[in-house]
Amino acid sequence: MFKTVYTIFGTCVIGLYVAASLLGWQFGGGSRHTLPPDVRQNGYRSFHFWHYGLHGGK
Amino acid sequence: MSVLVANCPACGASVEFKSGQSIVVICSYCRSAVARTDRDLKDLGKVAEIVETGSPLDIGIQGRWKDIPFELTGRAQLGHEMGGQWDEWYATFSNGWLGWLAEAQGRFYLTFQHPIPENVNLPSFEQLQLGQSIGGLPWPTSLIVAETGRATALGAKGEIPYLLTPGDTYYYADLSGPNQGFGTLDYNETPPLVFLGQQVTLTEIGITSTRAPEREQKEVAAAQLACPQCGGTLDLRAPDKTERVTCPSCNSLLDVNQGQLKFLKALGKPSFQPVIPIGTTGDVPEGKMTVIGAMTRSVTIEGTQYFWGEYLLYNPQIGFRWLVNSDDYWNYVEAIPPGEISELADSVSLTTPLGAQDRPAKSVDFRGRNYRIFQDAPAVVESVLGEFYWKVEAGENVRATDYVSPPYMLSKEVTTLLVPQPTRPGKKQNIGEINWSLGTYVTPAQIEKSFGVSDLPRPSIIAPNQPYLYKWIYKYWIIFILAGLLVACLSFITSGSTKEVFSQRVTFEPLPNEDGTQVFFSEPFQLSGHRNIRITGESPVQNTWVYLEGDLISDDTGLVQSFPVDISYYQGVEDGEAWTEGAQKNSTDTSSLPAGKYVLRLEAQWERWQQPASVSVRIEQNVSNGFNFVLMLIGLSIVPVIMAIYHFTFEKRRWSESMFTPISDSGDDDD
Repeated sequence: MFKTVYTIFGTCVIGLYVAASLLGWQFGGGSRHTLPPDVRQNGYRSFHFWHYGLHGGK
Repeated sequence: MSVLVANCPACGASVEFKSGQSIVVICSYCRSAVARTDRDLKDLGKVAEIVETGSPLDIGIQGRWKDIPFELTGRAQLGHEMGGQWDEWYATFSNGWLGWLAEAQGRFYLTFQHPIPENVNLPSFEQLQLGQSIGGLPWPTSLIVAETGRATALGAKGEIPYLLTPGDTYYYADLSGPNQGFGTLDYNETPPLVFLGQQVTLTEIGITSTRAPEREQKEVAAAQLACPQCGGTLDLRAPDKTERVTCPSCNSLLDVNQGQLKFLKALGKPSFQPVIPIGTTGDVPEGKMTVIGAMTRSVTIEGTQYFWGEYLLYNPQIGFRWLVNSDDYWNYVEAIPPGEISELADSVSLTTPLGAQDRPAKSVDFRGRNYRIFQDAPAVVESVLGEFYWKVEAGENVRATDYVSPPYMLSKEVTTLLVPQPTRPGKKQNIGEINWSLGTYVTPAQIEKSFGVSDLPRPSIIAPNQPYLYKWIYKYWIIFILAGLLVACLSFITSGSTKEVFSQRVTFEPLPNEDGTQVFFSEPFQLSGHRNIRITGESPVQNTWVYLEGDLISDDTGLVQSFPVDISYYQGVEDGEAWTEGAQKNSTDTSSLPAGKYVLRLEAQWERWQQPASVSVRIEQNVSNGFNFVLMLIGLSIVPVIMAIYHFTFEKRRWSESMFTPISDSGDDDD
């Protein structure tokens, strides 16, 4: 039973590695967001948006 | 075929010497041993009737060895000093050879007499030591002394190739060697007669039409006898082999001799109750076997007495086996030839309960497997129930040495007995035998299933030969790591080279204050999908820092991938030594983004805010950084590492029960 579990687990780990290699996945490396539609329409280059919007008052 | 036909000097009946090598023939009418001399026949006295042992052999049976036909022409029955008896059959070959076919405990040994080479001086009987290697014999492998003893001629039948005198005793040494090698040194003469050969099966010596079926029918049926002490009935399940039996009614110890019971002593109330009742039949790897006896034995180590139980199993076609129950774990045990064992020269340094003398070997080899010493102590029989094939009694003492190689355990038992020296009457010396047995670990669940018992207690300790069940994980681990390496190589080969998609030098104007920032937006550039991304920032900083908060913004979807790049570089000289910290270049890797046009946004802060800051930014895709590979190795290794730690504690617990532990907290290894 344990043999089967470890075999499945090991296969999954290698499978994940293959998938990561093929799809360009990388662990870590920063957060990901989507700009709200109104910001995209009005222009996302404003100082206000990056400091009080997306980056939350940085 | 007859060589000589004459009349018995005792009764006048006709006696026939079929073989020219026969010295004695037993008169089938009056049982006199009739010896052939140069002049006439001589009556050596009457011999006892052969005790029926259920042997599959008989006089007149024919066989074939090395393509030479033979016939069994005589049989002698010899008594063992420690109780029990064995048969020797004499095989007359058509080419004039004379073979000796010994039969004991259902095993057969075919030997032939060999002359002693001229330059070889064999040790005298008094010089023999159990386990001693006997060199110089005309035999391809080394032979060791497995048993020394004194035999008594009990009975005979047919023709005997030596001067058998009823009741005579003689000293002998049995030798054992690899590949079933077997030999006997017969000290009836000086120098001793040498017989060499090997253990054989009846099939190997061409004896197929024996009385075996008849034997089976007779032996399977137990004999029912009355106890001479209390009159209660008792069953003998191996009536032709049993030497001792206890009465289930009064628990008297009885001697068994030719089916006759003789009271020896009262054992009192049984001190233990066998967990497998006597008479139970169970399935073992070799077939069905019946429990015919049970005993408890003990060893005393550092003042503490440890007990265990042993169950004697019997099947006429298989012979005797044992089930040993110690600390709630079980072993299935069978005897093996002592000559098959190689005791390695290195002995333990620990003084065992048996004293500093005769220290046991640290390890032994058996059939290509190395066994490490676990215990060495005198073992004592505490109590017995049922029947046994030797003259067992409470207090019987042997030296027991255990060697382990899970799931197997080799046990060496040395039995000694003091007897008169053959050449110096009045002086005594030890005779004895070495018995090796191979135990195989069996779980209580297997015993329950095989013998139909229930609720056997489960062991709370690690047994000496309990197998560690997860060794396979190391093999699997290596296979997975190799598979991972292969996949990584293939991935590296097929993924192509790193591609630069953006590169620009950006100069940020001085900041209004130390908390201020400057922002840069790039022109749109193309990113490919399914390719990881590396953003590298480089600035000629010296003992200062620049911090970039970056974003990759999709023009098409509004997706934003944020990332930090921290560039700091310090250097100096301290105590005459130059040092540096950080680097003028740093990078961040991120996962791939959907293919499309992206804008790079950089917001910079730097320590020397009054001055402009210059940063070179480069964005690459399809970068090999090994991080995923390391993650894969860690993932594959988590379980094996945990299991390796468990394995170590498992072995530590196992060896904590040994007097020769190789794993120690304090590092004071015993060997």
